[in-house]
Amino acid sequence: MSWRAVLAAVLRESRASRGRLLFFTGCLAIGVAAVVGVSSLVAAMEASLRSSSRDLLAADLRVSARRELPEELAAFFESRPHERTDVRQLAAMASLGEGTEDEPADSRLVELKVIDGVYPFYGQLVLTPADLGVADLKADTVFAAPELLLGLGIDIGDELHLGGAAFRVAGEVVDEPDRLDFAMTLGPRIFMSAEGLARTNLFVAKSRVSHRALYRLPGDPTHDELERLEDELRAALANPSYVRISTHTEAQPNVRRALGRVEDYLGLVALLSLLLGGIGVSQIVRAWLAGRAGSVAVMRCLGLRAREIAALYLGHVALLAVLGCVLGGVLGALLPWAVQAWAPDLFQGGAEHLWQPGSLLRGLALGLLVALLFSLPPLTAVWRVPPAAVLRAEAVPLAAPAAVRFGAPTALLVGVFVSAFVQADDLLVAASFTGGLLVLAALLYGGARATTSLSGSLPRGAFGPYVEHGLAALARPGAGTVGAIVALGLGVMVVVSMLLIEQRLEEALRTALPEAAPSVFLVDVQPDQWDGVRTSLEDRGARSIDGVPVVMARLRAIEGRDVQDIASEYRSDRRSTWRFTREQRLTWMDELPADNEIVEGALWSDPERDEVSLEEDFAESLGVEVGDLLTFDVQGISVDLTVTSVRTVDWQSFGINFFLVVEPGVLDGAPHFRLAAARLDPEEAEYELQNELAASFPNVTMLRVRPILEKVADVLTRIAFGVRALGSFTILTGLVILAGAVGTTALRRAREAALLKALGITRGGVTRLFAVEYALSGLVAGAIGSSGALVLAWAFLKHLAELEPELPLRTVPVAAVVSSVLATLSGLSASLRALRARPLETLRG
Amino acid sequence: MNEAERTTSAPQIECVGLGKSLPSGERTLTILEGVDLVIEAGELVAIVGPSGSGKSTLLGLLAGLDRPTVGSVRLDGRPLEQLDEDELALLRRRKVGFVFQSFQLLANLTARENVLLPLELTGFEGARERADEVLDEVGLAERGHHYPAQLSGGEQQRVALARAFAPRPQVLFADEPTGNLDSETGARVLSLLLGMRERHGTTLVLVTHDASIAARAGRQLHLFAGRVARDERSETQEIG
Repeated sequence: MSWRAVLAAVLRESRASRGRLLFFTGCLAIGVAAVVGVSSLVAAMEASLRSSSRDLLAADLRVSARRELPEELAAFFESRPHERTDVRQLAAMASLGEGTEDEPADSRLVELKVIDGVYPFYGQLVLTPADLGVADLKADTVFAAPELLLGLGIDIGDELHLGGAAFRVAGEVVDEPDRLDFAMTLGPRIFMSAEGLARTNLFVAKSRVSHRALYRLPGDPTHDELERLEDELRAALANPSYVRISTHTEAQPNVRRALGRVEDYLGLVALLSLLLGGIGVSQIVRAWLAGRAGSVAVMRCLGLRAREIAALYLGHVALLAVLGCVLGGVLGALLPWAVQAWAPDLFQGGAEHLWQPGSLLRGLALGLLVALLFSLPPLTAVWRVPPAAVLRAEAVPLAAPAAVRFGAPTALLVGVFVSAFVQADDLLVAASFTGGLLVLAALLYGGARATTSLSGSLPRGAFGPYVEHGLAALARPGAGTVGAIVALGLGVMVVVSMLLIEQRLEEALRTALPEAAPSVFLVDVQPDQWDGVRTSLEDRGARSIDGVPVVMARLRAIEGRDVQDIASEYRSDRRSTWRFTREQRLTWMDELPADNEIVEGALWSDPERDEVSLEEDFAESLGVEVGDLLTFDVQGISVDLTVTSVRTVDWQSFGINFFLVVEPGVLDGAPHFRLAAARLDPEEAEYELQNELAASFPNVTMLRVRPILEKVADVLTRIAFGVRALGSFTILTGLVILAGAVGTTALRRAREAALLKALGITRGGVTRLFAVEYALSGLVAGAIGSSGALVLAWAFLKHLAELEPELPLRTVPVAAVVSSVLATLSGLSASLRALRARPLETLRG
Repeated sequence: MNEAERTTSAPQIECVGLGKSLPSGERTLTILEGVDLVIEAGELVAIVGPSGSGKSTLLGLLAGLDRPTVGSVRLDGRPLEQLDEDELALLRRRKVGFVFQSFQLLANLTARENVLLPLELTGFEGARERADEVLDEVGLAERGHHYPAQLSGGEQQRVALARAFAPRPQVLFADEPTGNLDSETGARVLSLLLGMRERHGTTLVLVTHDASIAARAGRQLHLFAGRVARDERSETQEIG
């Protein structure tokens, strides 16, 4: 048969029934729209989140160090298009004037940020007045945080002194994009130009200055591209160990973890959408071929080989798939716009991320591939149609050749595995997903077989004629019960697992930031001031008030060995040296906060010795284990502490946490101050507190972390919303496809309905009879499919999202009932026409 | 030698000890048993018998549409039991034509396209002209663009005749070709069938339960309860 003849046959086959063609194309379009839509939404969300996380870094890439940045940096970027801004951060004392020895001027510890270039590349530096920018900074002006102005009792336009030079406060710093690392914050912010810094005496050789180079790179680099660049840069540096390279994807940990989870989730959504589309296609082709069995028999009789007929129908599927893909592609590509209109906050940065041509092309290709792959198993029916069926309708079906019987499902499995691998980029995940699907399909097959065999062998007379006939209909030859239950069950698995995962993930995102996370930190509260400060906080309705003593100390020896000796082994690595020799903050407490968990040893368990508890990573960096002896120099006094426990700390809790916690009583009498944290609402209460502290406790510095919290909360909220939007969309399309799949099966029942009516059964009777059948199929598919969904959701949440699954077992009965109702409603809706038609019309064809 | 032509001087159809039985619950239902038959090229054989005697089953086995339980069939010298489904399809494509009681036209193809299909399958040179020619021969040259649903029963069966004769098959199998038609239309279709067979020199195996139709064949094979009860040959046969 020439290709021209095949093409002609394909085109002729397309005329089979315009209505059915529309229905098939529509179902395919929904599947492809789901794939393209989710893929576009995913890409748009990723682009938007990338942009958000870039805001948190104010750049694509940041290189920072505690000393001058290496010269190789410039050489490395010379051949790469980029923009660079240098930022230096250092602590300084801001005062109202020079003062005198007897009467020093009022002063505050501040954190200077010296900008040399464009800032920020991404995000917004919010200043008052609003029309100001970094470019407006002169050699004698600064922008200062409002809490500093409040603390010093000055206003915009007034003067303050920094490093021996006077500066006019030109504006207030309301918010800056990349100030998330509040643990390292020393004091209120001051922005200054490089020329301004040059006027001061602050920048001397020994100053502890943090140097940063912010880079903006062209072409919207992805996470992978940035990682590659980071690796190349690290390799190009002579001594990379003292340089820290950050990409925007490593921004704040809450956001980073959320992004990681969402990335996995989005991959799963796209994969499950594909699966849904495939199930829809498979059911459509199955129903279509069942209706064409007569034509297939005639064609075989006329001498067409089974493979030629299969190629003809496959060609037809391809034609429909192309139509459906284009239609669905257009719909799917428009989806982000629809979501944007419905929820404008989801995609920050306007419409630039909404058009995703890559997703459209990928969706079209995947849609076509899935349509063809999933049509293979039902297409094997062509081999089973005997040519003798032209003589006798009940002719015994032929067996398809082994290559066809095993080849089609194998090709499908390989296709699913490849798709899973493309999405997850992990062989184990792809194999587990494919294997799990295979097991579920086998369970559904077993369940369906058991159902048909049970319904065929039930005793007569117990349930009444309609129920009995409905049950028997499940077991009749050619009923397609098994295929329908497998498809429906897989669909239920997809929809229910999406629902479970989406709910749990959204909950995790919502609670990632504790509702009472502290909004202010108070530094340098003296022991005799604590009660007063605490009362001030309580008077303003502060929640989660926490105040811990802090004793500054240096590590002198580990297991009796001088840390200078140990550090000398790391001479080439300044960062490692620093971790041994830097000043450490010690605290004491009876019980650990809830966000700490002992992983080794036991807290305050040795009455013979003075104990210390270490954070796990910190202990590892010092090479210290439970039982080791640490010697500290506490303001000139040597204190021996034995490590009796190692603990993990959830740094995302925003609470006050320490690497070193000492047993209560050991440090009594040591000079210390208190570090306090509290949640104050509304925001104005923070300013009131600031005023009161300035008046009553002028030495206490208040740091506001509300802007940071709000920034993180904003990103998390948008991610959570995106998760909900995508989950809901997939679930909705899943339900439509499932209803369509049941509907296509129901279309085949027209003749049966006509016959039953001709035999005198009323429409209500036929409806009841069909309803029993659909309800039972839906029940079995729902129960097994939702059990599979529990397993998939559990595996995803536990191993990929690293969340406690907490899945409700009642999901199974609820899903079984809902699936049963859905199958009944969609089956009966699709049978409406057949139920309404006069029997003779249908029987005459 | 061209495959489409007669390849041997062997009988057109030959079957030995042919039988067909089907499982029916726990029992086995014998439909056909011990049929020995030789049909020469150009013969017109009517298979007659009451309902359930195995007529259509025998036709299906002779045409390679179905597999016998026992015995063998040779079509144009080729043993059908040794051919797989694809080889059987190719054999039917090249040598066999069919006419069925229920017409079996493809509903989504026009009359002309139904006739064209087997011609395109065999790569027939000048397929379109040939399709028009046979449609003209059955008197439907003007109805080629109509779909089966737009044609009467008689017209549909005439399209089926055109489809069957278009590729010039060596053997034509007809299963109750007038069974779904009224007597007047049936007579016209039968005359057309026999006339075309005569003009094309085709071997015709015709299943009928109508004695008057069978009488127009040169040879009548009487089946009863799955066995050949009588094999009658008359001196003359109807030629249209």
